[in-house]
Amino acid sequence: MSKSRQLTYSLALTELEEIISEIESEEINVDILAEKVKRAAYLIKFCKGRLRDTEEEVKKVLSEIEGIEETEQGGQNNAANS
Amino acid sequence: MTDLLLNTRTTFSLFELNNIIKDAISYALPDTYWVVAEIADTKLNQKGHCYLELVEKEDNKTIAQVKANIWAYEYRRISHKFQAATNESLKSGMKVLLLVAVTFHEVYGLSLNVRDIDPAYTMGEMALKKREVIERLTKEGFIGLNKSLPLPAVPQRIAVISSPAAAGYGDFFGQLDNNPYGYKFIHILFPALMQGAEAEPSITSALRKVRQKKDLFDVLVIIRGGGSVIDLNCFDSYNLALEIAKFPLPIITGIGHEKDDTVADMTAHTKMKTPTAVAEFLISGLRSFEENVINIQNRVVRHTERFIKEGHYALASLTQRLSFISIQLTASLHNKIEGAEKDLRGSVRQFIQKTGSRLDNLEKVIRLLDPVNVLQRGYSLTHHKGEILKDASLLRKGDVIDTRLFKGVISSVVENTKEAEEHEQEQAVDLFSGIDRA
Repeated sequence: MSKSRQLTYSLALTELEEIISEIESEEINVDILAEKVKRAAYLIKFCKGRLRDTEEEVKKVLSEIEGIEETEQGGQNNAANS
Repeated sequence: MTDLLLNTRTTFSLFELNNIIKDAISYALPDTYWVVAEIADTKLNQKGHCYLELVEKEDNKTIAQVKANIWAYEYRRISHKFQAATNESLKSGMKVLLLVAVTFHEVYGLSLNVRDIDPAYTMGEMALKKREVIERLTKEGFIGLNKSLPLPAVPQRIAVISSPAAAGYGDFFGQLDNNPYGYKFIHILFPALMQGAEAEPSITSALRKVRQKKDLFDVLVIIRGGGSVIDLNCFDSYNLALEIAKFPLPIITGIGHEKDDTVADMTAHTKMKTPTAVAEFLISGLRSFEENVINIQNRVVRHTERFIKEGHYALASLTQRLSFISIQLTASLHNKIEGAEKDLRGSVRQFIQKTGSRLDNLEKVIRLLDPVNVLQRGYSLTHHKGEILKDASLLRKGDVIDTRLFKGVISSVVENTKEAEEHEQEQAVDLFSGIDRA
């Protein structure tokens, strides 16, 4: 799997599933196993970390949304009055 | 002539005329009547009287229209009963069955005075309309459209359409933000009116805004928390349902409708009863993903541990075999060395023995050869003129010879000589050949 592509949850999970099926197929030598386990550990850490730390993502979303928010001030007030 | 005519005709004041009309109407229509009509407009004045504009339409064209009113003291009772039954307030566009008296007021003209409204009729109408909307959406293939979108692996970025004033709004975010697993959600509110006549356009416009930024979100949540359940029929509207069906993100609803599902619920991806249930659903989505990951993690760990343990066993068994083999090998080498040593020692001893006995022989021979020994055994040496005499024929009668014995020397004068005996010669030859061989 190309590492240059941005890692997402579903890419990470797919890769993890591939790795575990390879590891469990028992047709793996110790050098490759070490490499795969290292990659799996990285992916697991990525997933768990991202479930709990979204600061980067929040910043990105907020900066994208700001434009709308400003033009929506009126709408928000209306809604608040309901 | 005109004067005459003027004189003979009866004239009424407007007031008189209107009074005649009023009498005529009350004479002709003395009772109350059940009338089916659509509300075109409705207004409440400060005193609590309700003024309605009633119409009948055919192919969207008004074919009948009349004013109506509900006096304040009736309106309270009627509207309360109507809302309790239909969850809707009286509003334009609604078809109603009214019990009316026809009245004519000298100033305000013809108007129907509403004495009662039968909510059952409106409910039937609404149900019929809803059924038609559902049938149409089904026929057009929109009911299952949003449902066919896959739910994201992790619904973490959430666009929310709701009213910040709604009671369930705070609960929803509170629950998301304080989930027991410590998951972080990104939630952005797109405010909209969630009930009343303005709700439909307001929600539709919010939907369009989210659509513009759809890549930033995993799911869209439409929630309307608690409180009044009046005036939610915007969620049964065809147009709103269509917007929901065609929306590019999965939509989860928590509209909090006590009764049947709304059309919006039916068109959305997933329908939850309340905003709290929506929050639970989203949290469980993250939990289920994490459980997947943890499961894989456990399997990787378990397998790797097993692999390493097996490796250790293999190594241990190899080590054992290796040490066993080397012990064996050492032992066999040791045996060989011992054997060699024994052989060597034997050979050396043999060699020494052999050499010793040869030396002994030599010694014996050499001892035999020593002239002293020869003399001791009884041989003698004869000298003639200082030289050892070996041949008797060299002597003449009268020659003096010296004979050396083991002990002492004899001087003699030769009488005669003889040839040497053969026997003695052979003996001497044997003796010398033994020395050569050693």
